[in-house]
Amino acid sequence: MTRVSLLGVASQLPERVVDNSFFAEGTAARRGMFTAPTTRRHVQPGETAAHMIEQAARRLIEQQEIDPARDIDILCTNVAIPDQAFTGCGAEVAARIGARPRWVIDLHNSGCVSFLYQLDLARTLMASGEARGALLCCVQNAGGRLFSQAGVRQLTQAPIPGDGCGVGYVRVGDVSPLLSLVQHCQPEFAADMTAIAEDGRQYWEPGPSPIRIAFSEARVAAIIQRGNALVPELVRLACEQAGVAARDLALLVTNQPSPIFLRNWREALELAPGVHHDTFARLGNLFGAALPINLEDALASRRLEPGALVCMAGFSHAGDYAAAAVIRWRPSLHV
Amino acid sequence: MTELSPLALAGIPGLVRCEQFDREAIAELLTEMTHGAYPHQQVYGDYCTVHAHIDCPPERVFSYLANPYSLLEWTYSVRSLQPTPTPGLLVGVDAQDTPLYCRVESHADALTVDYHCAWDQGRELWMVYLNRLVPAERVLQRPGTVLIWTNCRHPYYAKNPFPELEPARERTWVGDLWPFFYAGHSIELANLKAILEHRQRAGLPVGPQLLTPAGGGPGMPGERVRS
Repeated sequence: MTRVSLLGVASQLPERVVDNSFFAEGTAARRGMFTAPTTRRHVQPGETAAHMIEQAARRLIEQQEIDPARDIDILCTNVAIPDQAFTGCGAEVAARIGARPRWVIDLHNSGCVSFLYQLDLARTLMASGEARGALLCCVQNAGGRLFSQAGVRQLTQAPIPGDGCGVGYVRVGDVSPLLSLVQHCQPEFAADMTAIAEDGRQYWEPGPSPIRIAFSEARVAAIIQRGNALVPELVRLACEQAGVAARDLALLVTNQPSPIFLRNWREALELAPGVHHDTFARLGNLFGAALPINLEDALASRRLEPGALVCMAGFSHAGDYAAAAVIRWRPSLHV
Repeated sequence: MTELSPLALAGIPGLVRCEQFDREAIAELLTEMTHGAYPHQQVYGDYCTVHAHIDCPPERVFSYLANPYSLLEWTYSVRSLQPTPTPGLLVGVDAQDTPLYCRVESHADALTVDYHCAWDQGRELWMVYLNRLVPAERVLQRPGTVLIWTNCRHPYYAKNPFPELEPARERTWVGDLWPFFYAGHSIELANLKAILEHRQRAGLPVGPQLLTPAGGGPGMPGERVRS
């Protein structure tokens, strides 16, 4: 397959910082699956996904010296709560940054592992020889758009999500090569995460209740078991395909639904302290934006040796998608 | 309706009961305690339990296990068992030439078979192998037997209490092998399962199949094969 490289990532966080006093009393003391972060960001009304992607993409374009009109053949987006009802914001993003992509793909699936799903799509299209560069964009905006609503913000689930946007640029070549990428769809889990409204209305029907995620004890137990197993399994698989060992990873970034999952994945993979980098305490559950945001955050706070192995992994929703990828970080920039 | 006395649990700290922990609080505790993987030491550090389903009726598994001469078949290294002057106490060799003393304590009604053993001497049988057999029909809705085998880490595993009985040559103390007990016991349990299931499938006597009269006394005759 054509070699592709992840050249860089950039993020954009909403300005509004929300602490635990915004939510139900006792939020900070919660433990287990609904452990609350200390802070999280919320988008404000009018803060669109297209705008967030534009801001993050502009930084990346500058940083990587990308000519948007020439270098972006594929533009992928995944937005938790899309700006518009009927279509995604990819084309609007292209207009804002001056790109003329042949393919605009607004994904409404793959949630927390969307970054890797997009990466897989991009490398597959690139293998056709028809594309050389791809902009991958993930936006989590459910914190401000859903979980800050009256009637939801008092719920146990409300303090966990945090908003943010992360983008990445992928290009054909060996600069920072993708060594392996595995992504699985477990369709049998697809119906296990649903958004519901208290009054029973469909989300498109008018009504007074806000929507929230339907959790039950049995569902949480099943999701914990799936998540515990899926992520380490795919990390090992991706390492195996890359011909490396999990213990050789210099950096692992994952989605971050809960500190419990982060702990369990670290333990199961027997990683050295500090290898698994997360931003949960500060930014909460970033859904699909976690992978690029955590990667950028990790790169800002540590120096990776040329050629260091970076793994990105996660699972989405109730386990319907899971993926892992291993990248050899920028070996060719230093030779 | 039976109710607890108001002071039944007075003065006992640290209990987790629904009166103090609501559904949300217990969910927090449960998820926090549920890891994806557990270190070997945490799981097998102080107790070592192995278990298996054996496709052989509980009475036949019991009869086989309750006969100490079966150890000659399914264990990795218990050999040459013979009676001692003490009734019910046998001596054999383990780990090549270490004397192994063993007495079986079994209860047919409860389907328990415990091996009380020790190396080097038979006065204090401190290595105790606890086996409980459960009719699989009752717990797994399938024929056969569930065998649950537990060893507890007696303090003597840490240090040989009778060093004066140790043979002069260098010998690895049994307790030093505790980290391998899960693996060792799993291997022996797999032997046990294979032997019993083979004989069950073939319609053979459950065994053990012994060449020489065992002289083990009533209740443990074994089945002898003519040479």
